[in-house]
Amino acid sequence: MHSRSRASLPLNQLPLDTRYQVETPEGIDLHLRPAGLVPRALAFAIDLVIRGLILMVMFIVLGLLGQFGMGLGTILLFLVTWWYMVLFEVFNQGRSPGKQMLGLRVVHDDGTPIGWAASLTRNLLRFVDILPFGYTLGIISCLNHPAFKRLGDIAAGTLVVYRDAPLSKPLLADAEPLPAPFPLSLDEQRAILGFAERGGQLSAARRAELAALLADPLQVPAEQAEPRLNGIARGLLGSAP
Amino acid sequence: MRLTEASVAIRPRSAWEAIDLGVLLARRHAGLLMASWALVTLPLFALLCALLWQYPGWAIFVFWWLKPAYERLPLYILSQALFGNTPSLKQALRALPKLLWPQLLASLTWRRLSPTRSFDLPVLQLEGLAGQARSQRLVVLGQRDSAAATWLTLVGMHLEVALWMGLVALFYLMLPQQVELDWTWESLIAASSGQWMWLEHLSNLLYVLLLIIWEPVYVACGFTLYLNRRTALEAWDIELTFRRLRQRLTGSAYALLLGCAVLLTQQPSNAWADTPPIVSEEAKQADPQGPDAPRLLQQPLTSQAARASIEALLDEPPFQHRETVTRWRLGEEKPAEEPKPEDVEAFLDMLKNLLKLGEWWKSLDVVAQVFEVLLWAALAALLVFVLWRYREWLQAFGDRIGLPTRRRQVAPQQLFGLELAPETLPDDVASEAERLWADQPRAALGLLYRALLSRLLHEHRLPLKQSHTEGEVLHLVAGLGQENLEDYSRQLTLHWQALAYGHRLPAESQRQGLCQGWRSLFGQERAA
Repeated sequence: MHSRSRASLPLNQLPLDTRYQVETPEGIDLHLRPAGLVPRALAFAIDLVIRGLILMVMFIVLGLLGQFGMGLGTILLFLVTWWYMVLFEVFNQGRSPGKQMLGLRVVHDDGTPIGWAASLTRNLLRFVDILPFGYTLGIISCLNHPAFKRLGDIAAGTLVVYRDAPLSKPLLADAEPLPAPFPLSLDEQRAILGFAERGGQLSAARRAELAALLADPLQVPAEQAEPRLNGIARGLLGSAP
Repeated sequence: MRLTEASVAIRPRSAWEAIDLGVLLARRHAGLLMASWALVTLPLFALLCALLWQYPGWAIFVFWWLKPAYERLPLYILSQALFGNTPSLKQALRALPKLLWPQLLASLTWRRLSPTRSFDLPVLQLEGLAGQARSQRLVVLGQRDSAAATWLTLVGMHLEVALWMGLVALFYLMLPQQVELDWTWESLIAASSGQWMWLEHLSNLLYVLLLIIWEPVYVACGFTLYLNRRTALEAWDIELTFRRLRQRLTGSAYALLLGCAVLLTQQPSNAWADTPPIVSEEAKQADPQGPDAPRLLQQPLTSQAARASIEALLDEPPFQHRETVTRWRLGEEKPAEEPKPEDVEAFLDMLKNLLKLGEWWKSLDVVAQVFEVLLWAALAALLVFVLWRYREWLQAFGDRIGLPTRRRQVAPQQLFGLELAPETLPDDVASEAERLWADQPRAALGLLYRALLSRLLHEHRLPLKQSHTEGEVLHLVAGLGQENLEDYSRQLTLHWQALAYGHRLPAESQRQGLCQGWRSLFGQERAA
């Protein structure tokens, strides 16, 4: 609903956001957060180093076996070059080691886990992204695409997204739970909860300033607005077991 | 700064996501950013090249060192564009001199190699702090996200190298075959000795060109990192929602007051009014109190705007399902009209024309008949062709579908071990038999009997089979109803049986009788 009403606005009024919405057939909006060039470049660099190390170690070991070892090494070179990314993406929930370290994963455009076809396509098409040298096309495509896709991603219909971090239980400021004196929309409830949760990161003056914004509608003096808001946040959260 | 007018979605993000937002921001204003950057840097690079033509390395080094000075312009554009008033290219260029001087020395000396350059630049340029306050501010902002800013600079450096090599490779690929350049390593090394000066300046130019793409992105990423840090530090998103909430609550309170006032002023007049007159349908629609009347005119969202947006929403895909179906159908029947005099005349004319047409048509009768014949002939030909085409199929499957087929009788080649084919018989059977009778009476009688059977088979079409006995053959001959033939056959068969099985020769007198009988039965026929 939200996205639809926003989509009807002219493009230049649309607030810029890094979120990417997918609506499921059940009408649920999934929020994916596509990852841009910098974290992806770092993940690629990590993978490159890992691959280099694997190859180096294996070539030293296989070098002891003479020509047979070199043959094995050539096969290994092929596997590591072409299948490293594919195998990790398919068997490790779309995460190569580099992506895992950066908190990224590869999914289909609709948020489903990546499969063989898409993974092979996006990794074989690295050869197009590399052209003419050093991923020039990939970099330009990544900078110019609203969901930061390189050409291989566009062809395979895949998306590199940030994984959702596991949620931790927030610490709320101590206060007596209070009912909200007026009906609140979801966004407003979230903002009041956020005010109570993030109070520790804000300076006392800033907290007072923010709370004073709502002193009028709460019908309290500006000094009491902050404890009142903390109380409403407690009330919204409910009693924790 | 009014947060409600921000053109980006304000919420706390991770540092990486903040950088991504910078990419999107640079992309939205890409034309302006790249054009202004090019207009500033390209003339400067040309100037540096002219001054330091003999030292291309120094030229690009000076250009590279001065990067922080150019970065102020994209930041100015982005900071203005963030709150909706994007400057034009001319305005931006005009603002440049004012932007340059503050903190220029610091930017170009001890801050030049700072890995968080783009992250720090907004503090220096936009906040306008000085001395102690500024360094404290930088420390506070740098508590988080400075690692990401460092990585941004590091990745940016590698990106510049990668893009530069890409452009060089592209340039090399684009060289036509005719340009014979034997670029060996030696010649490339020799390039630095001055012979290939233009090549070095060209590669410098490629670097300057790629900065047009990358630098605005780099500055925008630093700017969004800064915005994100401030969003976290000052809870901008919470402020934004609180402001909206206050506007909603106080706004609705005003509306409530207004509504009460309207009600109070209108109640008495309603009470004194007569019973409302019955209004027509049209009047109802124009009723100022009706559900379709414009209401809520004192607030940003009027009832008409709401209705329009609801209708627009209902027209969009999930709700609206339109299909265009195109089908042929008969034309609408025209309503019957009063016959006018002209119409009657026209109708009569039409009748006359029809009669004329009929006469003309009669003259075409012959042609029509020819065509009829042709068409029937074509149909017959088609049928014949179909039957002929599928004759084998009909033969094969005619039995099965019950077609009456005439089974062709295959005449046996032999009966009782005797050749029956007419070709094997001599031309004059009777004479031959007389000739044989003297020394081979058996062969003579055999010949006669054989010839008789052959004639019966081929001329009288008796359905003889190999399984028939002599008696059965006689029985069949009786069925033909020819007495002469029957008598002769009986006589000959008796003699033949007596000779064949009983080895009793017929009397000499019989010879004449049998041969004559043969002649009388078949000889004349043959002659005739």
